[in-house]
Amino acid sequence: MRNRFRGSTISLALAAAAVSAVIAVSMTRIAGQAARPARTADGKPNFSGIWQALNEAHWDLEAHAARPGMVTQPGPYPFSFAEVPAAPVLALGAAGGVPGSIGVVDGDGTIPYTPEAAATKQENAANWIDRDPELKCYLPGIPRAMYMPYPFQIVQGTNKIQMAYAFTSTARTIHLDDVEGPPDDTFMGHSVGRWEGDTLVVDVTDFNGKNWFDRAGNFHSEALHLVERFTPISADAIHYEVTIEDPNVFTRPWQISMPLYRRLEPNMQLMEYRCIEFVEEFLYGHVRKEQLVKRWEGETIIVDITRKVPPGNAFYDWYRK
Amino acid sequence: MRRRVLELLGVLMMIMAVTVLLRLAPIPVAGQAQRAQGQAGAAPAAPTPWGEPDLQGIWTTDYEIPLQRPARYADQEFFTDEERAELDRERARIIGSDQRRSERGSEQDVGGAYSAAIFLSHKHMGRRTSLIVDPPDGRVPPLTPEAQQRRDAIREYQLALLQATDVCSNNLPACAGGQYGPPSPRMAEPPPYYPATAAAAGGAFNRSDGPEDRGLGERCMSARLPDFGGAAGYFLRIVQSPGTVSIFYDTGQGQGWQRVIPVTDRPHLPSHVRQWWGDPRGRWEGNTLVVDTTNFSPKTDYQGSRENLHLVERWTRLDAETIEYVATMEDPTTWTSPWTVAVELSQQSNEANRFYTEPRCHEGNYGLPGLLAGERAMERAFAEGRGPDPATRCTAGCGGFAAGFADSGAETNPVQR
Repeated sequence: MRNRFRGSTISLALAAAAVSAVIAVSMTRIAGQAARPARTADGKPNFSGIWQALNEAHWDLEAHAARPGMVTQPGPYPFSFAEVPAAPVLALGAAGGVPGSIGVVDGDGTIPYTPEAAATKQENAANWIDRDPELKCYLPGIPRAMYMPYPFQIVQGTNKIQMAYAFTSTARTIHLDDVEGPPDDTFMGHSVGRWEGDTLVVDVTDFNGKNWFDRAGNFHSEALHLVERFTPISADAIHYEVTIEDPNVFTRPWQISMPLYRRLEPNMQLMEYRCIEFVEEFLYGHVRKEQLVKRWEGETIIVDITRKVPPGNAFYDWYRK
Repeated sequence: MRRRVLELLGVLMMIMAVTVLLRLAPIPVAGQAQRAQGQAGAAPAAPTPWGEPDLQGIWTTDYEIPLQRPARYADQEFFTDEERAELDRERARIIGSDQRRSERGSEQDVGGAYSAAIFLSHKHMGRRTSLIVDPPDGRVPPLTPEAQQRRDAIREYQLALLQATDVCSNNLPACAGGQYGPPSPRMAEPPPYYPATAAAAGGAFNRSDGPEDRGLGERCMSARLPDFGGAAGYFLRIVQSPGTVSIFYDTGQGQGWQRVIPVTDRPHLPSHVRQWWGDPRGRWEGNTLVVDTTNFSPKTDYQGSRENLHLVERWTRLDAETIEYVATMEDPTTWTSPWTVAVELSQQSNEANRFYTEPRCHEGNYGLPGLLAGERAMERAFAEGRGPDPATRCTAGCGGFAAGFADSGAETNPVQR
């Protein structure tokens, strides 16, 4: 494991050295925005502000080529590399595709699933629409909330660091002091932080195992244990890495890493994304008195979608397992 | 494993402690501040390391205080200690009563079962006779004619949907202003205004054609501003950094949400951008955080005010244990004058960390699709001659014990008589 992570450790050390130099002199100031000191009153790196990952990890943590649709089906040719978009996303055209990615998994770039878990991951991917909790607007969990394509805000208090996520207006509190853990397992985990030099190290436990890592079906169990490390690269970028441990699903601990970028718009603010309302048709449309989705009319494309839900994946069934 | 067992024991002890608390034993009231003076003898609060007033911590309200002053205390700003003890006894008697279930029938019983257990404050009475401190009569100011018109249109629609049910055939209080009759053709119409309240706030329609009909509570979206704790109580976690105040609202029995208040002189969002919790702007006035919120969505409703609500909140740390929270509501399209509420928030143990960041209401909301599926089944049964006309059944806005206390007779909430 140590070998596997050596590359990133070295680059991190270099980054940290560079940051120390930057932090020592920098006081970022942008027209219209208040002064943003690089350090807090108690001398820690100042992470307060609005941040966002800028990568494709929310699609798939692992490296992947671009795909023509979020959901695809066999096209006219019998080659797996020549599939075409399937009905649920067909009407979205190019907006319904999946961008390629160099991946965010450190080391050999693959997630070390047990053989059984690898099969579950494949099933998850094949049943993405039925199974992905993001589509139902469920609490996204950690680390997924950190690299979803929505901004989040860090409010660095004196003994707590609050992370406020635009997605479904959720949050987590990182406790820098000693508190009791939650009375039950959680979607967002229980986060306990400490400073190691200029790195914020956060230990996250008490998960309920109902979250995914991405839209590719990568998953974990309730035994998930995360160690997150936040290290400043500059006043406006954080090196974020997570060591992921879950003996129920993975053969060994593994790690992802990525930069998080500060949203530099002078009038930036966190906007609501209260998606519970947005998914009601998706979740409850079939029990409406007058169903809204039947067919399209006139010049508008008529798409009669028959999406058979496989046994065991009916509404909530899979999720309840 | 051992840890789980210990945790379970901890939870059980919590439940026992809460149960004891619920017995509403008379408590000594001497020593409680008259009003907004903070707790006697509590130390002053230190500012944050960067020199701003420090509002951080977990906060809640300790006492039950009605929003509006009950008519029988019209000339009284404070309850006497004897009145508080008597109100506590009366509330405990009604909450503890198990006589009423058989009398009210299945529909009214089922309608109130969940609410009676959850949406009911078990806190001791506070000293004030109303949360409203202005106007001085402790009442929400009169509605403007246009707001009254909106309210009347909603009521007319509610009554049309109830007119074929037992609520109207038995002339129950929820049918007040209406009368029994055949199913109304208005059942096929959408409501005149978006169903923007939880059922308990009086905006429920007896209709289940789709999720929107069921109101924001059943849809897991009842959290709204302003929030004074309400019948289910709430906890707030405040975290601050220079220029930002974060408040997580653990509210509405699992409908919590995150609010971030930028402390800035930037203007509000463009007026066509509307949000459920509006667009807040904070500023410090001496020791007070003043938060100005506009841009509310027409899908929210507070006492009849929707997208035109202008909310100004003042958060002041009085001492180590107390925040004074004062909120002024202004909406010239709804009320004839602005009005103001004052609430005292008390600091909760950081170590015990009794705070739930997870709403997980929506995540486990089997009730809503279950209810809609049930309605569809009832419609099929009726069409096949196997069951009653669904229009004759009441599933929302039926009155009875829906808010824990009865809506008429000797078991109404004594605080609201």
